[in-house]
Amino acid sequence: MYPEIVPIHRKESLREDGMLFVRTDGILETMVKAPLIIAGLMIVALTMPIQTSFGSTRMLDLTLYSDGSAHISSQLEVDPLDPDYEVSLFGSSIDNFVVVGENGFLLSSEIIDDKAMIDTFGSSSVSIDYDIHDLISKEGRVWTFTLDSPTDYSLLMPTNSIIVGMDALPSNMDLINDQTKLDLSSGLSEINYIFGSTQPPTTQPPTTIPEQPNNDINTIILAGASVAAAISGVVIMIKRKQTKSSSVIQTEVISKSQIKTDTTDTENIFNLRPDMREDDKEIIKFISANGGEALESDLRKKFLQPRTTMWRVVKRLEREGVIEISKKDLQNLVKLKKDLEEEE
Amino acid sequence: MKSLTSFALLILVASMAFGGITSSAYAADDSAILLKIAKRAQEQINNQISNDSSDKIKKLFEKGTQQVESLEKSLQSDDDSAAKEHFLSAMKIFKEISRHLTISVSDVASQDETASVRDTAKNPSNDLQRLQSYLDNLRTIAKKHDASIDFSELDELVVKAKKQIDAHQFAQALDTIHEIKETIIDVNKELREKASKQESQRAKVYAQKYLEQLDRLIENAKNQGVSDEIIKKLESAKENLSSIDDPRQIIEEIRKIMSLKDQFELTKNDRLESRILQVEKTLSRLYQVDGVDEEDLSNAEITLQSIKQNLNDGEFETANEQLRDLAKQLAEIKNSLQ
Repeated sequence: MYPEIVPIHRKESLREDGMLFVRTDGILETMVKAPLIIAGLMIVALTMPIQTSFGSTRMLDLTLYSDGSAHISSQLEVDPLDPDYEVSLFGSSIDNFVVVGENGFLLSSEIIDDKAMIDTFGSSSVSIDYDIHDLISKEGRVWTFTLDSPTDYSLLMPTNSIIVGMDALPSNMDLINDQTKLDLSSGLSEINYIFGSTQPPTTQPPTTIPEQPNNDINTIILAGASVAAAISGVVIMIKRKQTKSSSVIQTEVISKSQIKTDTTDTENIFNLRPDMREDDKEIIKFISANGGEALESDLRKKFLQPRTTMWRVVKRLEREGVIEISKKDLQNLVKLKKDLEEEE
Repeated sequence: MKSLTSFALLILVASMAFGGITSSAYAADDSAILLKIAKRAQEQINNQISNDSSDKIKKLFEKGTQQVESLEKSLQSDDDSAAKEHFLSAMKIFKEISRHLTISVSDVASQDETASVRDTAKNPSNDLQRLQSYLDNLRTIAKKHDASIDFSELDELVVKAKKQIDAHQFAQALDTIHEIKETIIDVNKELREKASKQESQRAKVYAQKYLEQLDRLIENAKNQGVSDEIIKKLESAKENLSSIDDPRQIIEEIRKIMSLKDQFELTKNDRLESRILQVEKTLSRLYQVDGVDEEDLSNAEITLQSIKQNLNDGEFETANEQLRDLAKQLAEIKNSLQ
């Protein structure tokens, strides 16, 4: 009924133990044409060099600084047939951008957001150098470096930094002048580090810091806080008067689920956002004392935070509905929201 | 024949698997590095944990320590994949502890820390380092362009800023750094003016090369029986390109030609043309190197002309093979010089 299943090379006698052995030395000739496979593989192997894509990164080196910025140095293969080349940068906060062609000549370029358009005019490789402020954030004393790299890269950590967390596996590690250098693979990596408690996290050799400047700072902070409190007090008094005069109209507008308040009064904001972080409260106080608005860059200077950290804080406050962000002279202007809705 | 076939297959498979072998070799080295990093993190965290630290932190640290111990054991038993897992787990725990410690540090410690961070942030040494690196780049480029730019003022300012930072006069150092930035703007402007003149020249050379390859494309298109309308369009684009000198216009015109090529599916030669340009560059570099046999170079030149002719005639396979051989020859010449 069923046709007999004939094993390959049936002519070979089965061994005594009854196990089925299939000869492999003739299998290729029987099933497929070996020369065909070889020819196919050879074509694949030979076309590989041709398929090397232009626009690939040949080298990528990163240097992290202790203030949360980073320097990027990379070399890219570009198509010599193309007149220009668009390269993706690792962020949009770029400084000191320089791009040179294969002969070391400066190439013209234009940066738009996180892209740079380079006039290559037949160069087959370009070297790019720039400083960037988008790769590192800080929470408390933990700094976090994040990068989604298209290629393997080297990473020089800041002096005196100690890695306390990482989700990537380095392929190599060196110590260069007290700085750790890691070789990492392409893909998304996150590295958390802190600065050693025995030395201040600077790139300079440690020296004794005179006490006087610290005292001055404390005095300035205290004076600043007093001024801010005084301004807040005046603002509260003025706003209370305004609230009284317009209370009837406001009562009509406010729905049961939404209690709106004038946010120039920081106390009101804090009452409506009881879970607000202490650091965020300081920022709100500063903005309030500054007439209800401040540039994000001024907040960075005032609170001495890296760009990305402050950006996250501002976005968090925006999500909480405490502030609104607008553009002023290409900068982010942070404003306290006039009407703050109570959290449900 | 059979053994020959098997041997060829073996070589092919071995060569294809070679990349994998090197990765494994790397993996063996990874392990010691992982232990080093994990132990350093463990030590640092241990220093930060005190009797006052919460039980949660202490428990987490115990877990982290266990992971480091397991990592060490895995390494001793050459179990790389387990070692990697233990490393990642340990580092995850240490990160969590660091975050907890940040939140739970006492007020005094917190104030000290804040002061320390603020001191760092105020210290503009990183700004200066970055500017120095930028200046070095500009200096190298200026040399390349034969631009007689005087960097002495900038060098003096850098020295001044360094001294101010060393003396903890950070406010003054910031002023000096601001002055450096202002001066760099002028230097940059001067350099870019100089570079733009040379860029104009490079753009013309590039356009000339592009015209040559466009000639080959048109010739080939004619041989392949491409419609007269398309050929006319290409010839008109070629005429436009040959009549302009401005780098920006050259880019625009070439973009138009590229779009034409895309539209009429005439891009199959592009990769070969790109490779020809690369080989030409290598060849011209070799001409400038002492000790290269001139006969080798002139033979390479002849082969290159033959490749271009084959492209003209639509003999892509032959051109491709010749190009590969030529690239190999040039690589051999380069290697012989090392």
